[in-house]
Amino acid sequence: MDWTALSLSLQLAGWTVLILLPVSILMGRFLAYRRFRAKGLVEALVMLPLVLPPTVFGFYLLVAFGANSPIGQFWRETFGHQLVFTFEGLVVASVIFNLPFAIQPAQRGFEAIPLEVREAAQCSGLSPWRSLMRIELPLAWPGVLTAMVLTFAHTLGEFGIVLMVGGSIPGETKTIAIAIYDRVQAFDDRSAGIMAATLLAISLATITATFWLSARIGRRLS
Amino acid sequence: MALDVMARASAPIPLDIAFRVEPGEMLALVGHSGSGKSTMLRTIAGLWRPTEARVAVNGETWLDTAKRIDLAPHRRRVGIVFQSYALFPHMTALANVMAAMGHVASGERETRARRLLSLVNLEGLEERRPAALSGGQQQRVAVARALAREPAALLLDEPFSAVDRATRERLYREIAQLRSHLAMPTILVTHDMEEARLLADRMVVIEEGRVIAAGTTAEVMFDAGALKTMGHRDVGASLPAVIEAREEDGLVRLSTTAGPVWLPRADGDPGTQVRLRILAHDVMIARQRPAGISALNVLQGTVTGMVEGEGPGVVLRLDVGGGEILASLTARSVKALELAPGVSCHAIIKAMAIARDDTRSASAPRP
Amino acid sequence: MRSLVVTGVMALLLGLSAGAASAQSQDPVIAAASDLQFAVEEIAAAFAEETGMRVRLSMGSTGNFARQIREGAPYEIFMAADETFIEDLHADGFTRDEGDLYAIGRLVMVVPHGSALEADGSLDTLAAALQDGRINRFAIANPEHAPYGMRAEEVLRHRGLWDDLQPFMVLGENVSQAAQFALSGNAEGGIIAYSLVLAPHVRERGAHELIPEEWHRPLRQRMALLNNAGPVAEAFYDYINGPAAREIMERYGFVLPGDE
Repeated sequence: MDWTALSLSLQLAGWTVLILLPVSILMGRFLAYRRFRAKGLVEALVMLPLVLPPTVFGFYLLVAFGANSPIGQFWRETFGHQLVFTFEGLVVASVIFNLPFAIQPAQRGFEAIPLEVREAAQCSGLSPWRSLMRIELPLAWPGVLTAMVLTFAHTLGEFGIVLMVGGSIPGETKTIAIAIYDRVQAFDDRSAGIMAATLLAISLATITATFWLSARIGRRLS
Repeated sequence: MALDVMARASAPIPLDIAFRVEPGEMLALVGHSGSGKSTMLRTIAGLWRPTEARVAVNGETWLDTAKRIDLAPHRRRVGIVFQSYALFPHMTALANVMAAMGHVASGERETRARRLLSLVNLEGLEERRPAALSGGQQQRVAVARALAREPAALLLDEPFSAVDRATRERLYREIAQLRSHLAMPTILVTHDMEEARLLADRMVVIEEGRVIAAGTTAEVMFDAGALKTMGHRDVGASLPAVIEAREEDGLVRLSTTAGPVWLPRADGDPGTQVRLRILAHDVMIARQRPAGISALNVLQGTVTGMVEGEGPGVVLRLDVGGGEILASLTARSVKALELAPGVSCHAIIKAMAIARDDTRSASAPRP
Repeated sequence: MRSLVVTGVMALLLGLSAGAASAQSQDPVIAAASDLQFAVEEIAAAFAEETGMRVRLSMGSTGNFARQIREGAPYEIFMAADETFIEDLHADGFTRDEGDLYAIGRLVMVVPHGSALEADGSLDTLAAALQDGRINRFAIANPEHAPYGMRAEEVLRHRGLWDDLQPFMVLGENVSQAAQFALSGNAEGGIIAYSLVLAPHVRERGAHELIPEEWHRPLRQRMALLNNAGPVAEAFYDYINGPAAREIMERYGFVLPGDE
């Protein structure tokens, strides 16, 4: 059992969720409420990571953040090391790659709020921020929660992008998914099996716990 | 303190409407669906902006497209009751009302909210969620919430359309009682002219985005154009009545200001107050009390007014013992019977319906 | 209740981030070609025991590592399976110097137990099996970026089997993966690195035979210190060149430069 790799995976998933939570709420809300000409394009862009193979994504991420890119060079100058092949690089890649998981379910959650209820909130004197906090989020939270759970679980299992953008550097970018791959290649089926089972158990537990929790909260609110 | 509205647009529907509502006055905006009445409310509330519009309340400009002033809805002190009530489903009735009290000191909110809820007769139901409230109760919470805002203008968007007739009658009474607490201009949007007539002081009739009649309810009710818009057939009046007894042969007797009437069916125990809806075209007029006719219900009354319709039709206003009914005649008959204001006559009522649950309306047998 | 859970999760996350990342961030990372899978693990363990210093190992294909190094990957030593990669990197200024030859690699033909094939270094059995249609899958490392794969291709071409074998070929990302495929029971066999089958738990999965080294360009395996190599990396580099490490290498079938 590679505890470091497991810890890395959990941290990567955790940071991704943390960063994407406000994005999920704000973008999900924006796309749910507004209609504008470029909306189809924006929604397609958000959905892109779902349909592109991870390798295509990884390739473009390397082009965008790698050593030869402006962003990569800027990062190197500012922080003294590369963005790629680091945990931070993985977080950047993971945030981008999880956008559809983070935004779409949240968007559905906000779309489910009847328009007149939102209008009633405005006409009751609630500013957009107050309306979000006291009316919309309490109604849309199942969508947001689903988005975060999907993001977390998806990140735990992410492989191709992590390998391309992060390499397999123990303690830095060697997540548990990669560690499993690594152990299989080393003919160490036993370790691979333990880690695979652990990952499966964690994913199941996360999803189950979240839906149990949401059912409880849902009961409390209705 | 008055509310001044002007709106002009070409899309999504053509619009060219303007009116004014005085403080304490209730104005009814009457028209068919799609006529633009809800659009006007939304314009006042800030939920929609026509191409060209002005909304000013209490001297404060809420919207002026020419001067590029457009206050967001939450900055307008407006109270609105939506057709679907739009209560916040995750909050109790009390919390719903308190949600609109952002301008009140937090210590005072609950007391005031409770007071409002008792004003709309919902005492005891404060802790209920909307899902656990009936339609009529939800509507009242919506009204309380609108009032909680201490609005400069109160807007009611077909607030009674989702409720059954019996509840509606009760709510009419309550709104009428509430009027004394409403010092602000109020607008009631409805497609039911009778409802407008009962509740409002003044009416504006709208068709396809234009005003076709405006004035006091009495004036508008007899405006030929308005009548045509709402359909001549819809013209009628209602008489208050009390169920008295079921007679041996199955007929139910009710008493009105103008005497007894009989209906083949009337659900309710003796003593129940009801409203009898009598359409103008169901009323015949005779100068003398008729004999040998099959109609059971004949009321004596005096002509108080006449309105020419388009073509040969005329609508008569009759005072029957204090209540008012309308009769639809041809101009020829009016001349032949020498009918004029002040003349006494008899109204033979062919059919009337108890204004109650729509699926169970009763009618008098046709001759 | 909900806020408690949220606080708990946040604390856990922050704790994790503070803890794990710092501990190992000092140890240098060594990029090692996959054929060294078992050999370098043992060497690193011996190094740790003898000096108390630790290194982190990253295994993969030589070509892949070369690309990553050009993109700024933070490795401190690169142990390639083919010296041309080191030479190119050195020419482009990514390594300190030309590095050292640390081993000569060998190819083997390998078959899992119960295969329709027999392990035969001359590849006659493979040729025959191809004729008879007894081949479903045959694994080699990807010739695009794995030196052992390139050599396997050379060997197969030398024997005139390359084209006929195309429809049945399975390519491993690196030679370890090729070995995995070859011995998994899902293929009739493969051509992989000698060093891999010498590990006991790999050897017991099947049979193998050395392929004549004249049939391919030599696998001159060279290593070099990269530009950001620190003192621990330097120490490890010297250790690999030392007697203890050489003895381990020999056990894994690596012909050492001295004996060439």
